[in-house]
Parts: sequence; C-alpha cells; structure tokens
Amino acid sequence: MMRRSNAVKILGAALLALLFGCSAVSKTPSVPPKHPEDLPTGRADCLECHKDVSTGALKPYAEIRHSRVFIDSHGTYARQGQNLCASCHAPAFCQTCHAGKEEVKPSTKMGDRPDRMAPHRGDYTITHQIDGRLDPGSCFRCHGNKSDTKCRQCHK
Amino acid sequence: MGHRTIGGTLRKSLSLACLALSVSLLLPTLFSGNTSAADVNLSSKTYGIMYQREYPGGQKDSYAPLYEYLSMDAANLGGKPVSFHFYGWGRVDLGDQTGSGKTSGEVGSLYLEYLHPEGNGQAKLGRFFLTEGAAMEILDGAFVKVMTPIGLGVSVYGGVPVEYSILDNTTDGDSLFGGRVFFAKAGVVEIGASYLKENGSFQGKNRELYGGDLWLRVAGPVVLTGQATYNQSMREMASQRYAVRIVPGQTLDISAGYESYTYKGLFQTALNPAFVSQTPSFDINDKVQTIFGVVDWEFVPGWTLEVSAKNIQHDESDPGDANRGEVGVRYTYNNKRDVAGLSAAFVSADRPENEYQQYRGFASYSPAKLRLTLDALAQQYQQAIYGKKNQYQVVATAGYQLLASLQISGNLTYTQSPNFQEDWAGWIRLAYDLGISTGGKK
Repeated sequence: MMRRSNAVKILGAALLALLFGCSAVSKTPSVPPKHPEDLPTGRADCLECHKDVSTGALKPYAEIRHSRVFIDSHGTYARQGQNLCASCHAPAFCQTCHAGKEEVKPSTKMGDRPDRMAPHRGDYTITHQIDGRLDPGSCFRCHGNKSDTKCRQCHK
Repeated sequence: MGHRTIGGTLRKSLSLACLALSVSLLLPTLFSGNTSAADVNLSSKTYGIMYQREYPGGQKDSYAPLYEYLSMDAANLGGKPVSFHFYGWGRVDLGDQTGSGKTSGEVGSLYLEYLHPEGNGQAKLGRFFLTEGAAMEILDGAFVKVMTPIGLGVSVYGGVPVEYSILDNTTDGDSLFGGRVFFAKAGVVEIGASYLKENGSFQGKNRELYGGDLWLRVAGPVVLTGQATYNQSMREMASQRYAVRIVPGQTLDISAGYESYTYKGLFQTALNPAFVSQTPSFDINDKVQTIFGVVDWEFVPGWTLEVSAKNIQHDESDPGDANRGEVGVRYTYNNKRDVAGLSAAFVSADRPENEYQQYRGFASYSPAKLRLTLDALAQQYQQAIYGKKNQYQVVATAGYQLLASLQISGNLTYTQSPNFQEDWAGWIRLAYDLGISTGGKK
C-alpha cells in the first residue's frame, strides 16, 4: 500500500516537473472565457457560426450542438473539461440540476421553459418509485451524497 | 445524523478557511488596476410559492415558502483573466414549515478562477462544481489544469467535499483529492486516466476510484466515447459507459451504446438511505446493464424528431427488467424564441408494477414583452399506485418583461395523482438579470 502511494506521488511530481519545470504549456489560444456574442434562448446550435474544431473542448462543434443526443451525454464531455461549457454557461446553470441540498425541482424553477430537459416533471414522488427500482444509478448521481432531507420522509 | 468527529470539525474549518481565502484574494483584485474593465453579470430570482395540503385525518396546512436564488459572475477582474463566481439560494417559510426548518439555504459555488490565455490552463480556488475524469463533486478546495504543446496534460484537485448526509451514523467525507492525466489531439482523440480518493468512513472504508475516459474520432462523423470507473475500495467495477455517435451533418445526430454499474461499486459512498436499504427490490449484489439508442433529426427546418430506446437488465431478478421507449417531435418558431412539443413514452417490464406510459405536450408563445407557456403531462400505470392508475398535471405560466433586466411571471399548476385527489399550486417569480457587458452567459 505504502509503495503504491509513493509511486503515485513520484509520478505526480514527475508530471508536474515536466509541465511546469519546462514551461511547456501549450501555446494554442485558450477558448474565450465568455462567448463574445449574446446567445439566443433555446438549444444552442454552434454550427450556425462555427464549422471547425473547438479550441476549448478540442472536439468538432458539430458534436457540441445541443441536440437530444448531446444533452443525454453531456456528462461524458464535461468530464474531459468544462472550459467550452463555461464560455456560454455560468456555474449557476450547471447547479440548477447538479445541486447540493436543493429543495425545488428544476422543472418548477424553470416552469416558463417547458422546452428545457428538466428532470422530474409531474408528481415525481410517484414515478420515482418505478424509475428508482429499474435504474437507481440514474438517481444516485445527483441524490447519492447530496440529499434533500425530504427523502427521509419515506427512506429511513 | 452521524456523529461529528474532530476530523470533521477540522475539515469544516478548513473548508471555511478556503472560502475566506478566495474572497480575501478577490477583494484586492477588485479594487486594484483597471476595475472598470470588469465584466459583471448579476442574477436574482425570487420565487414566492403558495400551496395547501390536506392530510389523512383532516389536517390542512398552508405553505408559503419564499426562495431567493442569487448568482454573480465577474470576469476580467483588474483587466486580468481572473473571474469570480457566486451562486446560492435561501428559503424562508412564511406559512407552515416546508422542510426540516423554517429557513434553509446553501452556497452552491463561491470561487476565484484564473484562465490562462493559452493552452486552456486554468485554476480554481473556493467552492466549485467539478467534473474531471472520475470526479463529479462539489468541492471546497483548489483545482489546476494545464496542457503541453504535444497534447499531454494533467489536472490535480484537492479539498473538502461538500456533501449532505441524511444517513444515520454516516457523515460526509473528510477530504478529497485526485487528478487526471490526459492526451488530446484536437479533433482526433482525447484519452484520460484519473484517480480520486475521498477520506471518510463509507461502509468502513475510504472511497478510492480509478477512472478512464476516451473520445476518439474513428472516421469522418463517427466517434467513440468511453468512460469507466473502478472502485478500488470495494474491488468492484463501479460504472462503465461506451457509445458510438454519428453526426453526419447539421441536422442528424445518432448515438447507441452500452452502460453498466454495480450497486456495491457505485453506491459505496451513499449518504441517502434509499441506496443502502436491503429491501426485496434493492439487492446490494445487483448489477444493471443497459443498451441504449438516441436519434435527433431535424427533418424539416424548425421541426425535430427525437427517438430514444433503452433496455435495462438486472443481474438479480427481483427489481425486474424493462424496456423504455420515447418518441417526440419539437417545433421551434418565432425566431427560435418559442418551442412546441409532443412526446409519448412507454416502459414495458417483466413486472406489472414497473410498467407505465407517459404523454406530454407543451408550447410557448412570446410576443414582444409577454411570455405564455402551457405544459400538460399524463401518466398511466399498469398497476394502481395507492389505488390510482393515472396522473395528470397541467402547468400554465404568464410572464411580462417589465424592464430590460426585470421580468415578473406567475405560474398555476394543477395536479391529480395517486398522492393528490386535486392539488393546486401557484407561484410568482421576479427575475432580475443585469449584465454590464454583452456576452453569452446564461
């Protein structure tokens, strides 16, 4: 156990030395911290202006277009970096759903945006009984360790 | 709630110190140099909600919680690539108590960020939401990420996790650190290996994860993505997700893949009793495997077809297996300000208590300063829940843009469900969005 711990530290130190010691930071311009143009309401279609590969995500803009496919798999992209997301979305946008001990459902907070993919529409205290039995992993990602105390009314 | 240990008290102190440090670093930055160049966005959303509940036995309670959601993002501080971000909410009950107390709230994020002009280098200090390899956390701490000209990069983070336990005798983690090593070639590949360790007592153990992630452009519009996490503490594969995605043009997007997770590996750090209770429908030895497919096709400008399907298989037989399918169409109009949609979804399962259908229709209408929306949802259950087989909900909203930065709106919700014979709820929202410069933050 100790040897593995030391190995991780040595590897980490070597990588940091490689990156900082040689001043070897990439010279490619970073993605702007803020999208220079105002964006319209609704799902963003990057392809209206961008045709190439994003300097932030290093992936084609065609994949970042906010289709249903992208929205369903946005976590896969966010786990490789949030720079491009942050160019258009403030942190509060992510935390509308990825919250701590939030009490109000996203669909309630965004009641005037029925076009948004907000989870838990309707009286979800009923439907979650079924969805939770079938696919509890989808619940865990948000409610596993950042829980609303209301869960305890039934889950004791 | 669990017992607060000396370690727990120390880490809370560390957490507060971290937040205080980020604020103290912010203040001199704000008041030095070219502060007029700062690019500030302020958003306040106030929700006043009113509803009544009638309980068995005739007790009738009236609730009136008042919520305030506040966020501020200030970039280009002192003319430098430094920004400050804050997001938080609070609630006070003006009627009967709605939660565990008459007031509640939290700071979701409060941090300073430095974005290096080159190589997407960045650093964060304070409380922030982090997704990086195996990590998806809210953290009081620090995060640094850099990349070299050859595409090799590294990120490291550490601090105190922000978690909330409602599980008896289990407290949230004491500290969390980790990192990711990756290689990226623009438009071709990004591959990463990550490590995360959270010190705490989760089923008597720390949390220790090894992660891997992949994005690979195989050919033309065909992309492979993968993401896997191994739980070293439980010696279990926690989760895996692999997908093929094809984006042949601006109007078609197709994805299909495989996903799996084990209860032991994924739920080890659960702080919610829903994920640890041993009931017939929840077996900790279970494993879920899912095959999924999603299609998004704009078949005519403005008209989009969405189809998704999922097959869910459990290793243990009790929770039951299921197929879920959904088809929907969306129409975008009024210069993309408005959307209307219809969708139908079904869940067919090998156990009747898991089967249901869902139908939904919505539309918005935004002439000039007015905004009206209507959203209707119906669900039918194969087996009655609390004696009922249906649920209906209709949400209507009306809003008016009083000033360029100030909107007032109201909402009326009618619900009929196994929980409620008839339920009416209404809220009023005051939204104030002030941006000192133009730009795409929302």
